[in-house]
Amino acid sequence: MNCEESKMLLADYWAQTLSETKELEFDAHIATCDLCRTDAERLGALWTSLSKIPAEEPSPALRTRFYDTLAAYRHGLEAAPRASWKERILALWPRQPAFQMGLSFALLAIGVGIGYTARPGVKPVEPETQEVAALRGEVTNMRQMVALSLLQQQSASERLRGVSYAVQVPSSDTEVLSALLKTVNQDANVNVRLQAVDALHQFGASPVTRTAVAQSIGKQDTPLVQIALIDLLVDLKDKDSAPELMKVSSDEKIDAAVRQHAKWALGKLQ
Amino acid sequence: MAQVGSGDVAKMAVLFERHNRGLFRYFVSLNRNRELSEDLVQDVFFRMLRYRASYDPNQSFTAWMYQIARNANVDQAQKRRAEVVGIDEFDDRRPEPASDAPGPEETVAKGQDVALLKRALDRLPSDKKELLVLARFQDMKYEEIASLLGCEVGTVKVRVFRAMRALEEIYHTLSKERTA
Repeated sequence: MNCEESKMLLADYWAQTLSETKELEFDAHIATCDLCRTDAERLGALWTSLSKIPAEEPSPALRTRFYDTLAAYRHGLEAAPRASWKERILALWPRQPAFQMGLSFALLAIGVGIGYTARPGVKPVEPETQEVAALRGEVTNMRQMVALSLLQQQSASERLRGVSYAVQVPSSDTEVLSALLKTVNQDANVNVRLQAVDALHQFGASPVTRTAVAQSIGKQDTPLVQIALIDLLVDLKDKDSAPELMKVSSDEKIDAAVRQHAKWALGKLQ
Repeated sequence: MAQVGSGDVAKMAVLFERHNRGLFRYFVSLNRNRELSEDLVQDVFFRMLRYRASYDPNQSFTAWMYQIARNANVDQAQKRRAEVVGIDEFDDRRPEPASDAPGPEETVAKGQDVALLKRALDRLPSDKKELLVLARFQDMKYEEIASLLGCEVGTVKVRVFRAMRALEEIYHTLSKERTA
């Protein structure tokens, strides 16, 4: 063993993770090499002293905050699938007065329409199924309007609500898709961008979505969003994104973790 | 974590009890700011809940968790840098260690050498400091650190050696300053 090789083993020597054979070789070397013995002993003593630095403890408030958050998260998960019809309908009701008024007029118009066609002695203009379809259409339009409006708001929490409305519109809605892509690329808040990436799952069938997602990776400045975008491409099994992922995996300016994740994604998509 | 990933989010409490102190120490070592470190620990557990489905049970949980912790720290640093620029351009953008100088109690209880070593560690460049914190305080295996940093195990071991050398130099400089 030479000095260079012994330096490679010092980290294992201090951590006591050397195999028996290697330790014997190492001991034999430092018995004859003063320089390496000094390194092993002096730096080893410093390595041992590091464990004497007292560990700082978090305040009790951290535990309280964590359990509060966990309880809220569990509550949210448990409540979601068990929501009653009444709660689901109430959840659709917008909070802002302008939207409330718009929805009220829309519902009034629908009510008048249904009342007119259902009045006695008059043959209905449209079959019942068409009325239900029209009603659904109104609700969908309302969701689209609310989603698009909320995504423009100043407040990040309002924009987050906008994203949650966006996932309720049909996947063929190009206006909402375009707004979501804009949010992913330009929103100042990381949480909103991440939520928008999640929402894009619904629009994954569109080639526009896939291309835009692949191109967005290089534009992002946060590794977390970049990784979420790569995960989305893997979930969508988008093999066409391989050239873009190759570019990301070899771009030295991009975070190492992201580059590694892009390589992993390329393996998955093969 | 596999149980959390499959939907049993209550098990996150077990992971919190096991890892919150380690994560806190990791963040405090890097940032020297207790309040910020507590926020970051909270953020890491929230991100683990959010991305629980992406956890692969075949990979090291510790490496996965610290990958999230590193990302959270990078995001936070970028945010803080953006806030600091324009407020004070002469600021060195690093909070001063709260306990840079050894307090009298610490000196008596732990000895001056430990306090000096702590100061030396604080002055290490962040990449070297992070490496020593992971290897020495978090008891991570070199293989796990290599997976976290995306490099070979041999590279990690060489970097540990270099980090120890750098730490020793700073330690000696501080010792001389103290005796001068």
